[in-house]
Amino acid sequence: MSQNIKVTQRHGDNFKDKLYLPAIYDGVKVTFKHLFNNVNDINAVDTLRYPEEQPTDITSRYRGLHRLTHRPDDTIACVACFMCATACPSNCIFIEATPREDGHDEKMPKSFFIDTLECVYCGYCVEACPCDAIRMDTGIFSLTGNKREDFVLDKEKLLSHKGAFGEEISCARD
Amino acid sequence: MSTSAIVVAIIAFALGALLALLTIPVLVWLERRIAGLVQDRIGPNRTNIFGFRLGGVVQSFADVVKLLLKEEYYPSHIKSGKWLFMLAPVITFVAALLAFMAIPFADTMIIDGESLRVSALPIDFGVFWYLAISAIGVLGVIFGGWLSHNKYSILGAARAGSMVISYELPLGLSILAFIITYDTIDFNAMVQYQSGTFFGFLPAWGILVQPLAAIILIVSLFAETNRNPFTVAEGESEIVAGFMTEYTAMKFAMYFMGEYVAMNTASAVIITMIFGGYQIPWVSTEMLLENFSVFAISIMIAMPIVVAVLIRWMRKNNRVRPTLSTDGGRDFETKVLTIAMLGMTFLVEAILIYLAFLTDNALANNIAITLFQIVVFVVKLMIFNMFFILIRWTVPRFRYDQVQKLGWYYLLPLALLNIFVTALVVVGVSS
Repeated sequence: MSQNIKVTQRHGDNFKDKLYLPAIYDGVKVTFKHLFNNVNDINAVDTLRYPEEQPTDITSRYRGLHRLTHRPDDTIACVACFMCATACPSNCIFIEATPREDGHDEKMPKSFFIDTLECVYCGYCVEACPCDAIRMDTGIFSLTGNKREDFVLDKEKLLSHKGAFGEEISCARD
Repeated sequence: MSTSAIVVAIIAFALGALLALLTIPVLVWLERRIAGLVQDRIGPNRTNIFGFRLGGVVQSFADVVKLLLKEEYYPSHIKSGKWLFMLAPVITFVAALLAFMAIPFADTMIIDGESLRVSALPIDFGVFWYLAISAIGVLGVIFGGWLSHNKYSILGAARAGSMVISYELPLGLSILAFIITYDTIDFNAMVQYQSGTFFGFLPAWGILVQPLAAIILIVSLFAETNRNPFTVAEGESEIVAGFMTEYTAMKFAMYFMGEYVAMNTASAVIITMIFGGYQIPWVSTEMLLENFSVFAISIMIAMPIVVAVLIRWMRKNNRVRPTLSTDGGRDFETKVLTIAMLGMTFLVEAILIYLAFLTDNALANNIAITLFQIVVFVVKLMIFNMFFILIRWTVPRFRYDQVQKLGWYYLLPLALLNIFVTALVVVGVSS
């Protein structure tokens, strides 16, 4: 039993530790080294100078701003099935359907709004979509605007977003 | 009173007010920048006026504007003693400010046989003035905490009170040791003593003559300024902002600025009492006046070197990373500042050449040396302020009972022993 007991040596009992000052000297040595190195070369500080410097570590799995995809013939991939709007936990997707004229399916969205002020970027809409029509692979992580209406994205805006990770058109079977 | 006496008095007063007040924004910025750089961050460097960011020092002025424009809010639960509640931050601020005024910025000027002190208050009992006035500062803290009618505030005030009884005695006793050593209570005479030598080769700085008292003085002054490792009157993790919890806007800013003025004052006292004040080591004012041409030539050699190093450092660091396309006007700022620094160097060199070789005006020499001493004082002041800041970002805090233990069990007996030994040595040497 006794060989399993690990004796931890207590610190602070000897004269040097009770003086405090040697420890403070050691601490100041560390902080001063950092201060001196950084004053000597400020650009060595590993801070991202946002917004001039943009992050480079956004992966393809990053859930950024939404986009609506196209089919290979540049028509909208969405068939207005309302699955995304149903899956949405914050009820921020508003779709109005209309009969489709371009010969692909029966329906297409007449209007498609996403209220990004309500959106929690959970990605459930992407998971729910049977047509790979809505994606969050734009890599856009910041959206700015001057009034609330600027944050409600409409169909044209969503279609204009480009995929940032190579996959441009919808991968769904036509 | 002659014209020169009035001019010197006004300039010294303006200098004292400027050094005390204008260093506040610089110190606030320095604190934030040094905190950042110590922790491998950057700190505030964005704010600028027409592209001039000066490393971000403009940020403090923006902060002051923000604090001035904030709503003056009075807690409605404070019914009694509202006037004292409002007065309390002013007491702290003014006490720290007034204590600074007795510090000499340069040696006494002798113009037409008249000796003129270069300090805002031309008094010869500066040490007592400092001890008396700076002790009032904590009253503002205690009043503010008491009258806030708030549990956090009153705990902060109680802790401030416990601090006072911890550090005041060692502080006074360590200063007493210096008074015995220097045989004066005049700050200026203390600095003059320190311009001599000790054992024939060391500068007679207080830290070398009285090392123990110097350490006790520094520790006590850290406690008096309420800075780390002795920030017990406020502690975010246990008592929120302590005595400042109920204070907003400019009332809060008074406490906040008072802390930095107190730090500045403590630095000034430390360098005046133990780091040779406005003197450079080994060199007294008389030596400078007698060998003015040597002084002028060494300044003429030293200044371009210092400016060259500064410009080199600025050109290296006032840049963005090479990956960035825009530099936010940094190139332009570097150019303008380089030209300004070079122009200043040429001006100073021209003045020094004129003074050293082309004329023999004792008054002009005297003024040049006074200006040089003021510059030395400011440089030392800033270095010690940076030391204060570096200590804050290095060491963790003491608990307030630990501060009391430190004060009463260690510092007080050591200070008493030091006085005893000092008195023995002084009596032995003089008899």
